[in-house]
Amino acid sequence: MEKIYNSIIEALIFASDESISAAEVVKAVKEIDGEDTSLTASDVEKCVDELNEKYASQELSFFITKVANGFLFATRPEFGKYVGFLSTEKSKRRLSQAALETLAIIAYKQPITKPELEAIRGVNSDYILNMLLEKNLITITGRSETIGRPLLYGTTEEFLKYFGLYNIADLPKPREIEEIMKDQDFIEQKQKIMMNAIEENLENSTSTESDSSDSDEGGYDEIE
Amino acid sequence: MYKIKLQQFEGPLDLLLFFIKRDELDIYDIPISKITKDFFEYMNMIKALDLEVAGDFILMATTLMQIKVRMLLPKEVDEKGEEIDPRADLIKALLEYKRYKEMTEELSFLESNQRKLSYRGNFEADYKVAPPEFGTLLKNVTLYDLMRAFKNALMDKPKEPVHEIKKIPVSIEDQINYIQSRIEKDKKMSFLVLVCEMGEKIRIVVTFIALLEMIKMGKLGLRESENFNDFVIYSLADGENL
Repeated sequence: MEKIYNSIIEALIFASDESISAAEVVKAVKEIDGEDTSLTASDVEKCVDELNEKYASQELSFFITKVANGFLFATRPEFGKYVGFLSTEKSKRRLSQAALETLAIIAYKQPITKPELEAIRGVNSDYILNMLLEKNLITITGRSETIGRPLLYGTTEEFLKYFGLYNIADLPKPREIEEIMKDQDFIEQKQKIMMNAIEENLENSTSTESDSSDSDEGGYDEIE
Repeated sequence: MYKIKLQQFEGPLDLLLFFIKRDELDIYDIPISKITKDFFEYMNMIKALDLEVAGDFILMATTLMQIKVRMLLPKEVDEKGEEIDPRADLIKALLEYKRYKEMTEELSFLESNQRKLSYRGNFEADYKVAPPEFGTLLKNVTLYDLMRAFKNALMDKPKEPVHEIKKIPVSIEDQINYIQSRIEKDKKMSFLVLVCEMGEKIRIVVTFIALLEMIKMGKLGLRESENFNDFVIYSLADGENL
């Protein structure tokens, strides 16, 4: 791999308004440098990792994030407070519990119809669906073949961007029902773990707490 | 009586899960009569506050009542001869809901992490100078976008007033002939009777002009009628002089 590609890839990602996929990067390079260029999608990913290492070592305020099936420049989380102060729309509004709940169901069950969604939630969901459509977090993906041909809903690229996911398979897996029943106080435990994780992130601490080692997810190293 | 903050619950299933957790109940062996009682207490509170939300809760209340009744009846059995627990469907729904409620926490966690970073943006300004080519415009268009754009286009269209002009086939000559034929039959008649069958205003106007024309030609005479708003037309052609 020649070093020059790092700069080309950096330029392509920088100039792209939406997240640009590795395939698009390869296509652009081959279009200019010729088909015999030996650049692959995995090379692009490697370059992005190298670029991120470079930014981190120089303590730059931004990095390349892998989101919505591609790459996108973003500011570092530690500057979120300051950047958010200027972009008022983003900093003030968070999604409501009802909206998150609806999104979770749509994300895992997509494509899903409104009656199926309402059966799981147990409440009328007209308002929430319209709100999520307006925000472009979900979209109509088609019609079901069942009686009445109801509309089918699915998540969008905007959804991936909003939650910082590379693709839909990136979502944490819902647990099997049998598993849920084993621990009654699962949610409290999880919240505690999450709070620890957030605090750890904020403090940039590298030490692992012993109380987080009983979690099966989160990806923390279990150092005894 | 528990004091419960209303918006805490996203729906009846959420509330049931709360009861199950609060009282440390076994989800596979829910004491239906107790949970129904708690549910009704809560419902009485929200009924006074928010009818629309209460609707979903009332549906759940009836489901609970139905289960309670079926528990009292002799046990039903399925094709395999096993007893059917009337609570089975409810338990299934509760577990399914609980599963996604957990994912809601996950999403909330992802959301708060993601909010800390801002994507490189501010491309809006560039767009205004040079609109993207047609091909890129279509890139992320879905059926829903098209539907919305079509609806907006229809609504934004200014309403232009339309004036339709209808041509009524009537001429002074026609009306002179018409008056002639009427007056030959009746010798004399009232003006109002002459025009009473005419629908359009313009036909009455033309008839009146025709009438004046005939008087000028000396074919008709006029005389006051008993009714002040009317007059009598009589024929002068046959020399009759009334």
